[in-house]
Amino acid sequence: MSLIQKTLNLFRAIKQNGGILSSLKTLYVTDDLKWGTHVGTDKYGNKYYENNYYFLSRNRWVIYNPDFHLDYDGSQIPPEWHMWMHYTTDKPPTVKPPVNYKWMVPHQENKSGSSEMYYPYSTTRTKIESWQPAHLRTADTEEQNPKLFNIPQNNRIGVQ
Amino acid sequence: MFHPGGVHGARHIAQSLHHVKNAIRGTCSSKLLMQQKAAAAVAVESKKGTVTPPPTGPAPTAPAAPNSVEVYIDDKMVMVEPGTTVLQAAALAGVEIPRFCYHDRLSIAGNCRMCLVEVEKSVKPVASCAMPVMKGMRVKTNSPMTRKAREGVMEFLLMNHPLDCPICDQGGECDLQDQSMMFGSDRSRFTDIKFDGKRAVEDKNIGPLIKTIMNRCIHCTRCIRFGSEVAGVDDLGTTGRGNEMQVGTYVEKLFASELSGNVIDLCPVGALTSKPYAFTYRPWELRKHESVDVMDGLGSAILVNSRGGEIIRILPRVHEGINEEWISDKTRFVYDGLKRQRLTQPMLKNSQGLLEPVDWEDALSGIAARINRVPGQEMAALVGGLCDVEALTALKDLMNRLGCETLCTEESFPMNAAGTDLRSNYLLNTKITGVEEADLVLLIGTNIRFEAPVLNARIRKAYLHNNLRIASIGERVDLRYETDFLGDSVHVLAQLADGDHKYSEILSKAKKPMIIVGSSSLQHGDGTAVLANAIVLADSLRSKMSSNGDESDWKVLNVLHRHANQVGALDLGYKAGPSAIKQMQPKVLFMMGADDGVVQRRDLAGDAFVIYQGHHGDKGAEMADAVLPGAAYTEKYATYVNTEGRAQRGNVAVTPPGMAREDWKILRALSEFVRGSSVLPYDSLDEVRKRLAEIAPHLTRYGQVEDANYFRQSKDLVWNAARPGHSGQTLPAQQRELEDFYMTNTISRASRTMAKCVTAARHQKSTRYGL
Repeated sequence: MSLIQKTLNLFRAIKQNGGILSSLKTLYVTDDLKWGTHVGTDKYGNKYYENNYYFLSRNRWVIYNPDFHLDYDGSQIPPEWHMWMHYTTDKPPTVKPPVNYKWMVPHQENKSGSSEMYYPYSTTRTKIESWQPAHLRTADTEEQNPKLFNIPQNNRIGVQ
Repeated sequence: MFHPGGVHGARHIAQSLHHVKNAIRGTCSSKLLMQQKAAAAVAVESKKGTVTPPPTGPAPTAPAAPNSVEVYIDDKMVMVEPGTTVLQAAALAGVEIPRFCYHDRLSIAGNCRMCLVEVEKSVKPVASCAMPVMKGMRVKTNSPMTRKAREGVMEFLLMNHPLDCPICDQGGECDLQDQSMMFGSDRSRFTDIKFDGKRAVEDKNIGPLIKTIMNRCIHCTRCIRFGSEVAGVDDLGTTGRGNEMQVGTYVEKLFASELSGNVIDLCPVGALTSKPYAFTYRPWELRKHESVDVMDGLGSAILVNSRGGEIIRILPRVHEGINEEWISDKTRFVYDGLKRQRLTQPMLKNSQGLLEPVDWEDALSGIAARINRVPGQEMAALVGGLCDVEALTALKDLMNRLGCETLCTEESFPMNAAGTDLRSNYLLNTKITGVEEADLVLLIGTNIRFEAPVLNARIRKAYLHNNLRIASIGERVDLRYETDFLGDSVHVLAQLADGDHKYSEILSKAKKPMIIVGSSSLQHGDGTAVLANAIVLADSLRSKMSSNGDESDWKVLNVLHRHANQVGALDLGYKAGPSAIKQMQPKVLFMMGADDGVVQRRDLAGDAFVIYQGHHGDKGAEMADAVLPGAAYTEKYATYVNTEGRAQRGNVAVTPPGMAREDWKILRALSEFVRGSSVLPYDSLDEVRKRLAEIAPHLTRYGQVEDANYFRQSKDLVWNAARPGHSGQTLPAQQRELEDFYMTNTISRASRTMAKCVTAARHQKSTRYGL
């Protein structure tokens, strides 16, 4: 690979990224500057590129929607593009659109660390049960739902 | 075939009772006088330390008694009284003999054979717990013969004992474990060559408190003897004999005693364990905190076991002056009530009139805003029986600074004549140990069995061993011993006071009579007459005693309170009873732990602002406009004064839940928000206690009973005032039956274990075996 080739690549990359300033911005956001064929764009505005000039595993990449700025994350790639990105298939969804079954849930990025992060609900009871004023009491009190509190219904002498 | 109680093999060798000679020549100490003398703080108390060591034998500290005999334990000479057993003599010599069936406070059974020792010139080893000493007896507690006997007994016991120590709740505090390590052989000849298993015994269901694993039973009969001697309930007994012997209730029924939990401590193995504690923790994993019980007026000594911010169990501590080593079931098992219905965050009513959680600053400033609008004369405070002295002091100081003088307790007390001004009127003056010296007890309007179970056990002990005679006035209840029932109304008491009842003669012959007035009878419409007549009767009995040449300072009149700190509140100068509040219709009512519902919304002004401070959501929080979460008795350093007038300290076992805080601290914080210069002048517990000592010095003399006097003056005041009339109605017992015993305060009402006990007691009543 000659120096000429490398210089050519640099110019192509700068050109594709829209000039020196935008290229510097891309470099800042993605730590990389590449050029390639624009294969497609997903519904979130992420752009997918391919250039087999780069070796395998660096030849397919994504430039996230600029709206994400530095808050991009791998989980923002929807599953159909994830397949192509990870070489599960060579046909991108632009060529072979994914089958949509009605049971599929819409894709959602990983919310860990955000205010919308997932909490598993607690299955243990608190050590201390607080008193609630009358208007805040729920039907989950043991008088109304003894099963919830594991109290035997038919205890002859207390509980065995 | 069924042998109830001590009939089985028990040789009732008379246990000479250990009289605690509390020869307190207590000088006077009425509350009035004490407040005057505050700074002087003259030591009016006593040479007697309160906690006498547990008696290991009758009067062991009298080696020079004239008729004592010398005994040689391992060639060491000890002088003991005749009638002492070899085991007790050995204890004096510092030699501990292993035992399972022998217990200090129970009769001697002598059936476990673990205490076998060699006695010189005796062919066979003798059971030392049942063998009285003889002059010049030479006992060998560590000879080959003794050791062989012990190892043999232990081998037999272990042969019939399952190898389930790893899953046994007694593990770590098991006498069988400990003694097999100390005195057992290192191997056993037991081999199960036919693989037919060890002795198997069906477990018994004896109620929601005690779990039985009868395979582990070694037939020591301690539980049986406890039931028949201390609790007075012959529910437990034995069936069968030899290897087929079983301990149980014969038919499936409840062990229906208010003291039943004590058999868990008595059981030397894991046959009887605590049901609520089952499979939770090992004893060495628990933190132990010495504390004071608040379930009744006695203030029993307890050991609170906690782990991970939770109370795991409550055990008794030995206190000879109060509870010996027993505690009631309510004391022992109430702790799960401390985890339910708790107030964990401050609450304030919002604009829609609904309570909603707020933080401390908003709560306190919101309350202060309301308080500041109302003059002190239109404010009042009402306190319940579980409040500690520190909190009561802070509340009284705060309210007084705001100009409010109406501070009342929920429990009322007759206020005619001296009322609560003379301390002797409302104390258990002869003290709890007085029962052991008394020869006649007159119970007035109290079901003492449930109002003070441990005191009742002591009365029963004196009834069995001292020929104590007991008479009762008031609703007829089952106290588990014989009483002379005199009548059910004040009428009889008035006759006795006037000396024209046929029982008067018996009363006047008594050398040390005790009159115990139950505080529940004083809540009754005839309460005033009950106290007035009791004072007159007590005075006439005292004057008879002194005319008979009795110089002892025996106090006849006793009042038995049902609440932990009623005496403390009265000592601090709280008014007894809510009548003053009902009269004045206050605009601001501060309720601290007041959950008996004696004051309702209709007793207050229409727009009254009600503040509730306490640890449980109950009647008080239900009617409050503002809720301040306080600490329960296991969560604060607190002082309680029991019905004798004995100040005792409770310690912190766990921290208060959520945003709850110690009560006096809440009041101290509130004082920063309210008007004027009301800031309370104490910032630490020590400073609060210094303030306690300023008000009444006995409140910080922990463990000591502060005597009271002025009986004559009290009687004169009653005499000069018109003797109150009475309606002659029955004096009702508020806790009639076992099911009434379990839920009496806000903690026990929240306890699920107590609820199960009530269910069990009710169910038991519906069976044909009854209660």
